Amino acid sequence: MSTELRVEKVSKSFPGVNALNEVNLTLKGGSVHALLGENGAGKSTLIKIITGVYRADSGSLKTNGEEKFFESPVEATHAGIAVVHQERNLIPEFSIEENITLHNPPTRLGIVDQSERTRMAKEALQTLGFEIDLQERVKNLSVAQMQLVEIAKALVTHAKIILLDEPTASITNAETVKLFKVIKNLKDSGSAILFVSHKLEEVYEICDTVTVLRDGESILQSQPLENYKQSEVVDAMVGRHLTDRKVELREVNRNVMPVLELVDVQTALGHEKISFSLYPGEILGMYGLVGAGRSELARSVLGLHKITSGEVKLNGQVVHIKTLRDALHIHHIGYVTENRKEEGLFLTFPVRKNISITVLSRILQKLGIISFQKEDAISSKYVERLGIKVVDNNQLAGTLSGGNQQKVSVAKWLAAETNILIIDEPTVGVDVRTKASFHELIIELANTGLSIILISSDLPEMITIADRILVMRDYELVDNIHNIKDYPTISRAVMTAIHPV
Amino acid sequence: MNFKLFFKHRATELSLTIIFVVGFALLVATSGGVLLTRQSLQGFLTYLAVPIVIGMAQMVVLAIGQMNLAVGAMGGVSAAIMAVLMADHHLPIWLALLIGFLSATAVGAINGALVVITQLNGFIITLGTMTILLGFQYRLVRTFTVDSYPKSLPDFGNKNILGFPLILVIAFVTSVLLSLFFSRTVTGRQVLATGGNHIAARLSGISNGRSVFIAHTLSGSLVGIAAIITISSLPGINRSIGGDWMLASFAAPIIGGVLMAGGTVAVFGTVVAAGVVRLVDIARAQYSLDPSIVSLTVGIVVLSTVALSEWRRRSSQRALEGKKDAK
Repeated sequence: MSTELRVEKVSKSFPGVNALNEVNLTLKGGSVHALLGENGAGKSTLIKIITGVYRADSGSLKTNGEEKFFESPVEATHAGIAVVHQERNLIPEFSIEENITLHNPPTRLGIVDQSERTRMAKEALQTLGFEIDLQERVKNLSVAQMQLVEIAKALVTHAKIILLDEPTASITNAETVKLFKVIKNLKDSGSAILFVSHKLEEVYEICDTVTVLRDGESILQSQPLENYKQSEVVDAMVGRHLTDRKVELREVNRNVMPVLELVDVQTALGHEKISFSLYPGEILGMYGLVGAGRSELARSVLGLHKITSGEVKLNGQVVHIKTLRDALHIHHIGYVTENRKEEGLFLTFPVRKNISITVLSRILQKLGIISFQKEDAISSKYVERLGIKVVDNNQLAGTLSGGNQQKVSVAKWLAAETNILIIDEPTVGVDVRTKASFHELIIELANTGLSIILISSDLPEMITIADRILVMRDYELVDNIHNIKDYPTISRAVMTAIHPV
Repeated sequence: MNFKLFFKHRATELSLTIIFVVGFALLVATSGGVLLTRQSLQGFLTYLAVPIVIGMAQMVVLAIGQMNLAVGAMGGVSAAIMAVLMADHHLPIWLALLIGFLSATAVGAINGALVVITQLNGFIITLGTMTILLGFQYRLVRTFTVDSYPKSLPDFGNKNILGFPLILVIAFVTSVLLSLFFSRTVTGRQVLATGGNHIAARLSGISNGRSVFIAHTLSGSLVGIAAIITISSLPGINRSIGGDWMLASFAAPIIGGVLMAGGTVAVFGTVVAAGVVRLVDIARAQYSLDPSIVSLTVGIVVLSTVALSEWRRRSSQRALEGKKDAK
């Protein structure tokens, strides 16, 4: 019997978010299947359900006719499913061959059989046409090399069902060519392959069938790819939804001195010729795929990475921002980070102390002692303004719900009263209601004159609130779109900039 | 005022206070009131001062998520310097004590600077300085006991204020000031922020290097104060001074509710925990138990406290996860 994996009506919700809604997907032996969708459409969640990392709420999974959800990734491996996840799953201190055979190291009399291990790893790497010292520690490898080790790790299990989550995101063209050769070999030997990628050209080169996810629903279900033009696939990915949302065009006066201007900026991270201006009260969107270099650009402007050439001007003056401290206290630029729980919050602090941390020097009384009265006043003000649900200001931030934690970490930047606020992915992982209130808040802040750079991978969000959208690809700005807030027009313009046809 | 929240946040301090009071009462009852005599009460309180202050010295480093293994060695050397300066070089008491205090502070500052410069963990750095200092302490006092210093020093150590030993009052005042430092000063808050989440701290414009340097320096100063207390309350200084400080310095803050991961201090908790440890000591003397009983008991209490707080943290985390995205 030929290999088959069938996902039927699988649903999964995280509190407040419907990650997957009755999704169907069929993988067949001897065929490469593309899984497409925007960031957050549910691709990774689906892969995690197939491999037993997450538990589905409902629906069924059939592997070679047997109906069963896997309880753990180990079970999925035993059933012949191998996966290359988007995030690295290698042990840096281990050698390449140890990593490749990690799932199931060969043993003799209970002791690891070193020569057999070497042989297995060598064989897997040979299929990939990748030559390297097998004893090298993984931490010394480049990102692309790690990706190949990751793929070899999947090959060594001789799995018949192989899930590749963006395998080409960080490898070179030459390596991609080799990888595609391997995929074709695997396909010819009867394996079923799932291929997730944002690069449509690659998808058309290697895939036979396609499933498109949008907001957790399968819009195209296991269709032959040759029946669809690239533009039709893009339409399926972005959809024409959310048109009922009220969007207003904002007036931004661009005949004044920009508050922030970048001229031909080049960074140590590889940004080339970045030029743009941010005007008072403007919401400037920065869109791009994960890895396009948006957060990295923001962090470079803030002094976290080196700017190697070009000029950064604040209100017309050329500045050299060396540390975040200077960015905040001298230049009044705030940065609301993407990983707000990990990078934006002091879990062991009460809400009050979390909010005041950026303004401590402004709330002192005699002898440099912090005034609890002023601290309470300032934190209450923002708790109220953002509608943060707390018992009182002394509640520990670690005991708040996710959405409220997000708000607390934003509150400290509002308290800092900056002139420019860079907001990175404001609504990742927040529910619909909180999302809408965040959008209102951002617009309200801009209306009071704050200039905002909004980094987001959520296209509907971008089109709803940004005044202009900068599109970034591979560390370059590829387009600067005046957002007329008409979803079909703008989404098409953005997608065309990202995936030039 | 929200009392439920207050009790929840102060759970550790409250239960420790109850344990202390009950334990004290038990000891008084079973000893037939001997513990309440002026002399034994004086002894109990006098020897409580050092555990409190070295607990604080460890606490400020735990606040940034690091450890200071050199607390004992720093104290030993600092006390030895004071003793030798007075006995062999006949320096005035105040000057000898000041120099000893400043040396402890300087070693703390060196620890902090090394951590910042090398980017190594404080554990490794202080392990190194500890070893160096132990050698130095031996060179200073060899196998002798230095005790030929002016009589006015032990007099100072035996002074009472309103019925409390002066040195215990010093320990209490130090604790109160430290508590104020962490809750009411910009620098104290920034040090805690570094310990709580160094990335968030950096993004909030805080210099983590400065926080680390300050925490280690402050730890050194507190050890210096502990050394002053020691030399004025003990009959003499030898190479064993400070030898039993390390476990004690960790025990008080950890039992008192300070997180190993950093970002918290618990001054009151640490003081009460030092009192509880002291009670175990008293109980040993009272019932002539083997000294190993004390180490055993303190060790078990430390382990179970850490296990309990970790379990509490996880269960509250799980309760929270239930409401949130599993990612």
